[in-house]
Amino acid sequence: MIHTPLCDLLGIRYPILQGGMAWIADASLASAVSNAGGLGIISAMNADDEWLRTEIRKARGMTDRPFGVNIMLRSPFVEKVARVVAEERIPVVTTGAGDPTRYMEQWGKAGIRVLPVVASVAVARHVERAGAAAVIAEGGESGGHVGDLTTMVLVPQICDSVGIPVIAAGGIADGRGIAASFMLGAVGVQVGTRFLTARECTVHQNYKNRILKAKDISTVTTGKRLGHPVRCLKNAFSRDFLAKEYDPSVDNEELEALGVGALRLAAREGDEKKGCFMAGQVAALVTKEQPSDEIITEMFTQAEQILSGGTKWVG
Amino acid sequence: MVFEKVAKILAEHKEIEVSEIHPESTLEELGLDSLDTVDLIMQFEDEFNVSLEMDEKIKTVGDIVKLIEDNME
Repeated sequence: MIHTPLCDLLGIRYPILQGGMAWIADASLASAVSNAGGLGIISAMNADDEWLRTEIRKARGMTDRPFGVNIMLRSPFVEKVARVVAEERIPVVTTGAGDPTRYMEQWGKAGIRVLPVVASVAVARHVERAGAAAVIAEGGESGGHVGDLTTMVLVPQICDSVGIPVIAAGGIADGRGIAASFMLGAVGVQVGTRFLTARECTVHQNYKNRILKAKDISTVTTGKRLGHPVRCLKNAFSRDFLAKEYDPSVDNEELEALGVGALRLAAREGDEKKGCFMAGQVAALVTKEQPSDEIITEMFTQAEQILSGGTKWVG
Repeated sequence: MVFEKVAKILAEHKEIEVSEIHPESTLEELGLDSLDTVDLIMQFEDEFNVSLEMDEKIKTVGDIVKLIEDNME
């Protein structure tokens, strides 16, 4: 049985977090992952406080296990959703796209453990100083908004620079990824892409089918020119976006506008032409639709087997 | 005093002359992305023994100097 300090910190059976994917990570997926012994996470994305409160209450009706909320710090409703998680006494908040320092006091008082997603050593050190309970070190293999450094390179360096637990993210979809993450010094993993095809994931079937079909070279990074790159599957949308990105006559404003609403179109409408199907490189390793609990037990059974044989090349 | 130290750290980071850095220089002009900025903020925290919050309103070197000075008081 695999047990790490992260299990005790978050009150979970398996040291796995489900990524807070916007337009995807709702009460249905989060409660299923929590019921399976991981930490489910609801994405507050750009939604308002009422939407989030409804989703939290819905999830509470579906699980009595802890679950978290991911707060996108650039959300226009960030102040309001920051208050909702405190009022609702959400045990764990993960943050992305910015510096959570200003909310730390409010969340600390509410007993919330804050786990920022970080893509560099300096950011990890900064949030540790601000009171983060752990950090999620996310490599550029992951889907959605990505940094440059890979998980393999980022995780050990962050483990060397902070004293709080490190959770590896980016490129993990099976037991091998979990075992490797532990070898790099992490005590837990965050997984997004694999949960896209979870039975309880309410994302559009076209999205699931595209993940199941994805190969090693199926993802691409768009938006580097805008300073906030996004990894997604290759399709008509990403090809068009990249063509415009490399066309100097298209200004940044027009390029930004092109991306607005594209994830929603993919996730909710299944629009194969205009949708942006965010996914990690690891989509290629995701080959079946299955319930969340099966995903988690399968991953950890494999990790345990690998780790048990971890000394086979030694001595 | 704060400005001189900030400029020195920035110049070393960017491998440019200190004289090229002015209070009005924007982070964008200096080619600093968000990861560079956090990296530098951490260096400033160590150098000045302050705790700084990253803020998107920080646009210029002068803004950084002011942020540090406000936190030193």
